[in-house]
Amino acid sequence: MIEEVFNVNLPVNETLTLRRNRFSPEDISTSTKRISIVTGIHGDEIEGQYVCYLLAKWLNNNKHCIKGIVDIYPSMNPMGIDSITRGFPFYDVDLNRNFPGNTSDFMPAQVANAIVDTVRGSDFAIDIHASNIFLRELPQVRISRSTADELIPLAEKLDIEFIWVHDAVTVLESTFAHAMNSLGTKTLVVEMGVGMRITKEYGQSLTKGILNLLAHVGIIERAVLPTTKTTVSNLHSEVFFVNASKSGIFIPILEHNVTVLKGEKLGEIIDPLSGRIQETLISPCNGLLFTIREYPVVYEGSLLARILEDPKEDTAL
Amino acid sequence: MKEEVLFEISSLSRNSLKVKGFRFGREGTTPSCVIVGPMMGTAIDQLWIASQLVRFLRQHELANAAFVKGEILVIPTVNPYSFNMGKNFWPLDNTDIDVMFPGYDKGETTQRIAARLFEKTNNYDYAILLEARKDHVECIPYVEVLESGMSYIEDARAFGLDFIHVKEEMPNDTVSLTYNWNVWNAKAFSLISGKKGILHKHEANKVFDAIVRFLVKKELIDFSTFEGSHGNLVMPNDVEAIKSSAAGLFDTLANIGDSVVHGQPLARIFNALDGTLIQTIISPCDGIISCRYDYSLIFQNAIAYRIVKVESAQNTL
Repeated sequence: MIEEVFNVNLPVNETLTLRRNRFSPEDISTSTKRISIVTGIHGDEIEGQYVCYLLAKWLNNNKHCIKGIVDIYPSMNPMGIDSITRGFPFYDVDLNRNFPGNTSDFMPAQVANAIVDTVRGSDFAIDIHASNIFLRELPQVRISRSTADELIPLAEKLDIEFIWVHDAVTVLESTFAHAMNSLGTKTLVVEMGVGMRITKEYGQSLTKGILNLLAHVGIIERAVLPTTKTTVSNLHSEVFFVNASKSGIFIPILEHNVTVLKGEKLGEIIDPLSGRIQETLISPCNGLLFTIREYPVVYEGSLLARILEDPKEDTAL
Repeated sequence: MKEEVLFEISSLSRNSLKVKGFRFGREGTTPSCVIVGPMMGTAIDQLWIASQLVRFLRQHELANAAFVKGEILVIPTVNPYSFNMGKNFWPLDNTDIDVMFPGYDKGETTQRIAARLFEKTNNYDYAILLEARKDHVECIPYVEVLESGMSYIEDARAFGLDFIHVKEEMPNDTVSLTYNWNVWNAKAFSLISGKKGILHKHEANKVFDAIVRFLVKKELIDFSTFEGSHGNLVMPNDVEAIKSSAAGLFDTLANIGDSVVHGQPLARIFNALDGTLIQTIISPCDGIISCRYDYSLIFQNAIAYRIVKVESAQNTL
């Protein structure tokens, strides 16, 4: 059932509406489990749209399997989604730095507050992101170290390639995921693909993973499928960042999602005016190239790649 | 006066970004004060204030070599690139430099800018940041001190502005420049005024005068100036946020700095298509308008006004 969960009038003959599609069994009790699938907080990230579509399609076709509540929220920043705008249009702020929001603050904070209010009470939530327009990401779940023990077992059910456990950063306390985890909703953040694009293979894979998770927690009745991917995490290895030290145009040499060797060439930064190579980027370790720059123009400092160090290196030592 | 390029960031196609500082007095002497201009490329008032300050200090130092008694560093802006494009934030990725502190010199471009700026400004007795508010408002000049700066709130009175706002610290504040100055034991202040994208000389000159007054009172310059206001302390609960209940064309009836009484009409909102009057916004309290929504089209539930309530006049230090 499609429901409106927040409305606010815009100045000229339009209403900003947040909608969800709720799938639920006929009988609901206090023990009925509920999950919220949220995406579109950043308007330039479209990957989650396809996942919502596939998930809603499956649930439409398999209503007899639904034992809990599945709420699908495809577009938490509707004006952003419809205008390729990452932040909240007009206010030019990142919605995902304004949680849990406040009804007495400016509009983005009110929208954030409304999202928290409507998702509040869910047992689980998945917030689907697509990196940004600059970086392509291997599908991954990002979890703060403070919630790792609780969330890693859940994340593993998504049958996803990579779980990145990161240090707690104060600024991330203003994200949707932090707000919901603080309220007792176990919330996973998925990053995959690249901004402004849909990677069908990733969307299909994540949808299968979400169905698998739903089966595990009893929200749908369906055989739990065996995991097909080897999920790796950085609990026993390090993530290396490769940043540009020169400005120019980045030309990658390697494809995304490959194993690289220490010293292997990742790409070059070139200068179109002089015809010279400004910098050659070299892998600092053996590992998995899980992030690669997609947008070629770079400044000093621009992130070009991230590599998950191969844990075998440690054991070899 | 010594004009310095504090640091540079190169670019693919534009001239290098050069962040300039103007140093007065003798480097390394006390008392010392750093004044940093805007990080947002639409904060024109703040650029005016900083540049006029450089002019003032330069002229007086030329006339009297002992005019500056300690050391003063003025950095008129950190973000010339955005000023030259009329953008708020970093032109390539729209990131806000003022959420990157204390910065990371091996990180992304704006993290590097933050790190370099912080390195050049973190060892002063007093540190002043010139800011425009990031939301769509026009506001009277005021001093903002974070809650963690309460121990030196008395120093804020040296500016002689009418209001000293004590800001409740949120997670986002921990990555701001003033918060990190504070951590490094500077007495850190934000001076906030005006509205983005336009020069309001009347308001800007009040801030200019306030800085000169502060420099006099802290014995940084040999100059005479009039006394300013005693400085009313405004705690977070002392401000009434007044929201629109309708959306449409916003016709303001009251200005920033106006004293208003309970029941006074502040603004009218008209239907943007048929011209019907749909709301008259009424003041719910007695007080002074500190901020006003600055755009002629208004959302429903937008913060139309902020009023410092008269009852806050009882606050004491």
